Amino acid sequence: MSDTLDHTRRNFLYVAAGGMGAVAAGATIVPFIGSMLPAADTLAASKTEYDVSTVEAGQLVVIQWQGKPVFVVHRTEELLKQVDGHDEMLKDAYSEAIEEVSAEWMTPENRKYRAIKPEYLIVVASCTHLGCIPLFKPSAGRKEWGDSVPENWPGGWHCPCHGSLYDISARVINGSPAPHNLHLMPYTYLTDTKVMIG
Amino acid sequence: MLDTIMKSKLFGWIDERTGAEAIIKSQLTEYEVPKNLNYMWNFGSLALLVLVLQILTGIFLAMYYKPSAALTMGGYTVAFDSVERIMRDVNFGWLIRYMHAVGASAFFVVVYMHIGRGLYYGSYKGPRELLWIIGVVILLIMQGAAFFGYLLPWGQMSFWGATVITNLFGALPVIGGFLQEVLRGGFAVGDPTLNRFFSLHYLFPLLLAAIVGGHVHALHVVHSNNPTGLDVHAGKSTIPFHPYYTIKDAFGVGVFLLFYCYVVFFNPQMGGYFIEVDNYVPANNLQTPPHIAPVWYLTPWYTILRSFESKLLGVVAMGASLAILFLLPFLDRSKVRSARYRPVYRQMVYLFFVTVIILGYCGHSAPTPTLKLIGQITTAYYFAFFLLLPFVHKFEKTKPLPEEI
Repeated sequence: MSDTLDHTRRNFLYVAAGGMGAVAAGATIVPFIGSMLPAADTLAASKTEYDVSTVEAGQLVVIQWQGKPVFVVHRTEELLKQVDGHDEMLKDAYSEAIEEVSAEWMTPENRKYRAIKPEYLIVVASCTHLGCIPLFKPSAGRKEWGDSVPENWPGGWHCPCHGSLYDISARVINGSPAPHNLHLMPYTYLTDTKVMIG
Repeated sequence: MLDTIMKSKLFGWIDERTGAEAIIKSQLTEYEVPKNLNYMWNFGSLALLVLVLQILTGIFLAMYYKPSAALTMGGYTVAFDSVERIMRDVNFGWLIRYMHAVGASAFFVVVYMHIGRGLYYGSYKGPRELLWIIGVVILLIMQGAAFFGYLLPWGQMSFWGATVITNLFGALPVIGGFLQEVLRGGFAVGDPTLNRFFSLHYLFPLLLAAIVGGHVHALHVVHSNNPTGLDVHAGKSTIPFHPYYTIKDAFGVGVFLLFYCYVVFFNPQMGGYFIEVDNYVPANNLQTPPHIAPVWYLTPWYTILRSFESKLLGVVAMGASLAILFLLPFLDRSKVRSARYRPVYRQMVYLFFVTVIILGYCGHSAPTPTLKLIGQITTAYYFAFFLLLPFVHKFEKTKPLPEEI
């Protein structure tokens, strides 16, 4: 046996032992971080059923889906008319900026309504800026809302936190800090009026 | 490896502001440890490992555990249901809870081995008296933390264990009733008890971490004992802690983890020793389970409690059996440390280990007249061991000590 140090051998052992240790430490982190993700029962509560016929014409109802607020609006003929005529004010009139989860029913003609049935708009109620719930200010013009909305207000939502504005199809209006239209979530009609959200 | 880091510019920057290099040298790379330590000296570092594991798993469990005795719609309680939710719904919840529950038992296995090592090799004797005393404080805090933690699942054993132990404190004269109310926060163990036990269960490990720091500091002042019990002199009979003992401790960690992982993954309840079967029954304050016993690590003291016919005497004896550990360094007058060279003490300490195991067995079993008698005899020896120590050195012929290790 010689007293000289075999550095290649020693370095190999360092790397081998250190590598195994790193793998073990990494594997140990998996269950701990994993445990902080939503639990099985939380995930199981990810669908919400709702009967839209309970919403009166012109009324807005806020329901919960996955612990998040969701707007259900029953749009009257009059409100549906407010969808048109201000495309140039919108950041994303055709909801093209982010991939829609509901692409299969987003036909060119109901893109402006952003709903399966135009009279029932169902959107996530969190402002895409920083998550506040916008206030419902449906009628056009400043008559009811004063200078909280612009002069040519087409009717829609006004976020009280940082002043983002959305039209009656929840499309974000130019000049708002919010980057996107209010998000749509996947939903289907189980019957004529029963909706399964999620 | 360490020296490449210590030569780096960043380390130099930190060193100028903290004196890190001096700390590393004095505590690791130039910290002198006797060269002849056997594997019994691995249990200290293992205890530290288990403490870290317990704190880590505990923090993650607390993200889901809810300390409330309120009834749920299923007819159980919020606390009980939250534990079952951890077991069934939380990702890896089963693993983290089993790591924590098995870790509690593993902690005591490791610490009892560590204490036994200290007893056998006379590590409690001067100059390490304070080191030992700090160790006894750690043991008491561990037992407290384990007791508080055991209430949290709010099962039958949790509830009745807490009822029995809080009644113990109630047996003390004058302050007993007051103490009991302070612990329970009500007329019986209930929702307020559960809440404060959770709070204390979170506090005690923090105390433990701080006091373990003191324990290690005290050790590094007086340095490790060794199997011969001889005083060692730096250089000749010592080697630096790093790399020699870091590698040996790491090896010990590997062996320990083999056992630990086996239990966690394949036998987490350990046949009812680590998690008692009755604790899967939700707490019922109107019915005591047919057989109630503490978890294995507390059973020796439970037997001492049961061995007396007077309630007060039992409680006092149990307290004394723990308190007498503080006096051990002063009771033993022999000049020789290690049991290797003390034939009488060697027999006594072996018998003491056997006694504690028998005490544990008795405490875990349902009381019968025979077991009661055995419990009383072993209790008598438990105390005799300590009370004989001041006299043993007078007639014990110690074996000749080697010159150097």
